[in-house]
Amino acid sequence: MTERVAIVGIGTTGFRPITPDVSYRELIFEAARKAYTDAGIEPSEIDGFITAAEDFLEGYSIADEYCPDQIGAVLKPTHTVPGDFLQAMATGFMMVKTGAFRTVAVEAHSKASNMKNISELIGFAMDPIYNRPLRETPHAISALEMTRYLFETCTTPDQCAQVVSKNMGNAMHNPYAAFGAEIESGDVLNSEPVSLPLHRLDIAQHADGAVVVVLADEATARALTDVPIWVEGIGWCTDTPTLEMRDWGEAAYARLAADMAYRMAGITNPVAEIDFAEICDEYSYKELQHMEALRFCMPGEAAHLLETGVTAIDGELPINVSGGALGVGHLFEASGAHKILELVEQLRGEAGTRQIPDVAVGLAQTWRGVPTATGAVAILSNL
Amino acid sequence: MAITEKITNTMKPTFWEGHIPVNYVYTYGHAGEKFFRAIKDKGTFLATYCSACDISYVPPKIYCDRCFTKLDRYIDVGTRGFIETFTVSFMNMDGSRKERPRILAMIRIVGTDGGLIHYIEGIGPDEIALGMPVQAVFKPKGKRTGAIDDIIGFGPVTRGRK
Ligand SMILES: [Zn+2]
Repeated sequence: MTERVAIVGIGTTGFRPITPDVSYRELIFEAARKAYTDAGIEPSEIDGFITAAEDFLEGYSIADEYCPDQIGAVLKPTHTVPGDFLQAMATGFMMVKTGAFRTVAVEAHSKASNMKNISELIGFAMDPIYNRPLRETPHAISALEMTRYLFETCTTPDQCAQVVSKNMGNAMHNPYAAFGAEIESGDVLNSEPVSLPLHRLDIAQHADGAVVVVLADEATARALTDVPIWVEGIGWCTDTPTLEMRDWGEAAYARLAADMAYRMAGITNPVAEIDFAEICDEYSYKELQHMEALRFCMPGEAAHLLETGVTAIDGELPINVSGGALGVGHLFEASGAHKILELVEQLRGEAGTRQIPDVAVGLAQTWRGVPTATGAVAILSNL
Repeated sequence: MAITEKITNTMKPTFWEGHIPVNYVYTYGHAGEKFFRAIKDKGTFLATYCSACDISYVPPKIYCDRCFTKLDRYIDVGTRGFIETFTVSFMNMDGSRKERPRILAMIRIVGTDGGLIHYIEGIGPDEIALGMPVQAVFKPKGKRTGAIDDIIGFGPVTRGRK
C-alpha cells in the first residue's frame, strides 16, 4: 500500500451567482483543463476519475453517465459519488492507497442557477410521509436546529450575524468569491426574517462553478511537483435521517468525521496543530456549531473565539479566510471542493492578498446541507 | 470566467426549459401503518421500544438503529410532549411570504426519545419557550385519513386528557 497521497493539481472556474453563457459541462471542462495544466499531466495519463454529483440537483436521471466527456474520462475507469466533494475525494484517496491507481482526478460542480425551484428540490429530500406534507422550507428545518444550538450554548443571533460580517468581508479579498461585502451584524439582523431566528443574510446564497483536483501517490507526486499538498487525514460520517430522533443542538456528524480524520493524521490537539480551517457556514450559526464539533473549543465557546478575533484572518486560528459559503457562495456538492481549493492555495503560498503567513496544516470540513446529517473532514499539509 | 462570451442580450439567454414529472407512492410499512392507524382510530401516538438500549422510537421503526435488533413492542405514549426547539416560519416553498407566520416546532413526546415536527397552535411566538409542555390537537375523528395532517398541531396542555 502506498504511504502518502498528495494533491498535485487543482483547477477552478471561480464562482458566480449565474453563468448563463456556459453549460455545466463547459464549466467543468474549464476547471479540468486548468487542473491538468497545473499538474503537468494529460487526462490520458490519469488512471481514474470521480465526479461528486446528485441526480436531482443535476436535473438528470443517472447523471453519472453525463460525466466522462468534460473531465477527459471517456472509456476510462470513472464513477460518481452522490455526496459532497470531500466524500468523493475520500474515495479517490482510497483508490490511490490501493496502489492500483497512481493518479485520480476528482471533480465537483454547482450549476445552481439552472435550478428553478431550489427550495422544492431540497424539500424533496425530506421524509415524504412525516415531514414533506407540512410544506415547510429547508430553511425552517435549519432554524429549528439554530434555536436549539443557541439555547444550549448561550449564543446569540447577533454573534451568528458577526460570522456573516467576517466571512462576507473576507470574501472581498478572494477573486473567486461571488458575495463579498462589507456589512455589519446589524445589517444581518435587519434583513427579512426567513424562519426566525434565521434572517435572509444568515443564509448562504447559491453560486455556480466547478473545481477539479488531481491526486497522486507519493512517487508520482514528487515527480510532478515541487509543492505536493499531502492528504494527512480524511473522515466522513452520517447521522440518522430521522429528524425526530436527532440531537438538535450538536453536530455529531462533524465531531465523528473529524475524530476519524484526526486519528489518521495523528492529531491529538487540533487547535494547536491546525493552522487554519475552512468549515461549513451554509447558515451563520453552522460555523460556530462546527467549530465546537471539530473540538476547536468547548461547546458554547465558539462565539467568544469569534468576538475576540481568534478566527479572523490575522487571528490564531483563521476560519473561512476564503469567505466561506456565505462569502463565496453555496455550491451544493462542490462545497468541499472550494474549501480544498482554499487550503491548497494557502499551503502553496498562492493565496494573494488573503495569504496567511507560515501555514503548514489546514482543515476542511463540509456538511451536505438540509436535511442531511452528513459531514466530512480533510486535513492537508505542505510538510 | 467563461470559455466563450456568447450572450450579448441578457433578455434572450440560450436555454431549453425542462421539467421532471415524477410521481411516487411512499408505502407506510408495518410501523408506519400502526402509527397512523392509532392516530386515526384512537387519537394517540405509538412508539416502538428497544429494551436493550432503553430507547423508544417516535415515529416507530421496526428496528433499533443503535443495536440493530428487530423491534415488535409497541407502546401507547399518549399525545403530550415538550417543545425541544421551534422557529417562526415566514416563507413558503416558492419563496413568497406566508400570509401569517407559522410556528413550527420539534416536539419531544413525553417518555420517548423521539417526537414529531409539527405546528404550534394557540401559543404566540412571545409566549413560547423551550421545554414548554404541549399536547396534540387532532382533526375530528370522522375527518382523519391516517396521515400526518390528521394532526392540526400542538397546543397548550388541557386538564383531563392524557
Ligand atoms: Zn437497541
